[in-house]
Amino acid sequence: MESRFQRIFLAASLASVLVFINAPTFAADEKEKKDDGELGKIITPDLERRHIKEADLDSEDFELGVYYGVLNIEDFGSNAVVGASLSYHITEDFFAQANYGTSETKKTSYELLSGGVDLLTNDQRKLNYYNISLGYNVLPGQVYIWDKWHFNTAVYLVAGAGNTHFAEKNYFTYNLGAGFKFYATDWFLVDLSMRGYSFSHELFGNSKKTGNLESRLGIAIFF
Amino acid sequence: MNQLVNISIGNLFHRSLQACVHCIGLVAMLWSFHSFAADVWKPDWFTADAPLDVTVNDTFINVYNAPGRGYPIFHVIERGETITLLKMRTDWIKIKTVRGLEGWIKRSDIALTLGPDGTALDFADTTHADYLADRFELGAAFGDFDGAKSMNLNAGYRFTKNISTELRLAQNTGQYSDSQIVALALLLQPFPDWRASPYIGVASGTLKTMPSSTLVQVEDRKDQLLQASLGVYVHITGRFFLRAEYTNDYILTSRNTNEEVNEWKVGFNVFF
Repeated sequence: MESRFQRIFLAASLASVLVFINAPTFAADEKEKKDDGELGKIITPDLERRHIKEADLDSEDFELGVYYGVLNIEDFGSNAVVGASLSYHITEDFFAQANYGTSETKKTSYELLSGGVDLLTNDQRKLNYYNISLGYNVLPGQVYIWDKWHFNTAVYLVAGAGNTHFAEKNYFTYNLGAGFKFYATDWFLVDLSMRGYSFSHELFGNSKKTGNLESRLGIAIFF
Repeated sequence: MNQLVNISIGNLFHRSLQACVHCIGLVAMLWSFHSFAADVWKPDWFTADAPLDVTVNDTFINVYNAPGRGYPIFHVIERGETITLLKMRTDWIKIKTVRGLEGWIKRSDIALTLGPDGTALDFADTTHADYLADRFELGAAFGDFDGAKSMNLNAGYRFTKNISTELRLAQNTGQYSDSQIVALALLLQPFPDWRASPYIGVASGTLKTMPSSTLVQVEDRKDQLLQASLGVYVHITGRFFLRAEYTNDYILTSRNTNEEVNEWKVGFNVFF
């Protein structure tokens, strides 16, 4: 008789221990049951009832890119240019962009034809530039590659100013350009862009205004 | 006697049972403490965060296929539907529906949803005043520094709505000399809520002048610089401001006379 009581108590205590171990699961089940009413349809049953703040959401407003292209420096030939750009997307329309590019210029026609004359040393032929520009996404769109494949694109205009370091001197440089962004995914894109750089120099005596075109192809990621 | 033995065996059995129960209880307690500890010290870097699920609490929300008003609306989510917020870009939020469809909704449409706790989400209003309350500021400007073209960068920190400090960097490119300015400024903006809000500022820093080596053989020099500025912030959209400024630069040279330079610049600023 006693052992039977003991067995009952034992069973009860074991059961209570099991309940204790599985308490969270049972509690969650109960919570779900409670929300199954009319309210449960509006407020979805969710195990974690927390409050969402803006800071919980990852923001992706920066774009980092590298590019390669051809930069034509007036009188100094067309040369390979390589650079990097960092953009901050302020709104869906505007973005601020910082660019840094480097190139090496060739000899002028005069230097080539005259033979031994060198206007610049090798170090002076190196050219690098930086600028800060403001861009505007003017034509958002899509391209349809196949029946089921479409990609987002954007055509943008960009203008700004900066400095070009060439022949051991800085030249204040305006830039104006346009580009085409092809979004392979929403965070990876291919960027085809043309920029015109304008600055004045006195390398040939008098001040001369130059217009220099850069055609470049780059890739960029959003982060 | 037989009964006595029976009782003592019963007691023994009972005691060992109790010990057993205590043991299980202790293990359970440790286990629950461990799971609690895991909750508190969860290594956030490797485990995925809980999804940000919200429920639509309005008639419908348009879903665009890219973050921009010019892209097509390809889906509509209805009242009562649950969506997961994935990320944000400018004023757009990428979402995922229960069926796995991904698209972008306007940030302002967040006001039409409810969080898991049944309350509205805590998203800052994108009005002018709110962005002014943001602490950090970054800007670029172009201008004229006594005939030289100047390129300016500024990084600011706002102590209050009215008072802020900023670090100014400038590269001035002239025909005969280049110069660089590094200065620390204190700005006072009496009416920060105005759309075009004027400000005054004072700054102190150094001016490094580098004469053009090809033209004149003069050494670089470094002078102290005091600046007094008068300018205006003009709110364009969201966190984006136009900024125009006139600065009077007073250069404390090592020569007999000090120099005074007028500087104009126009640029844009962004608040974080």
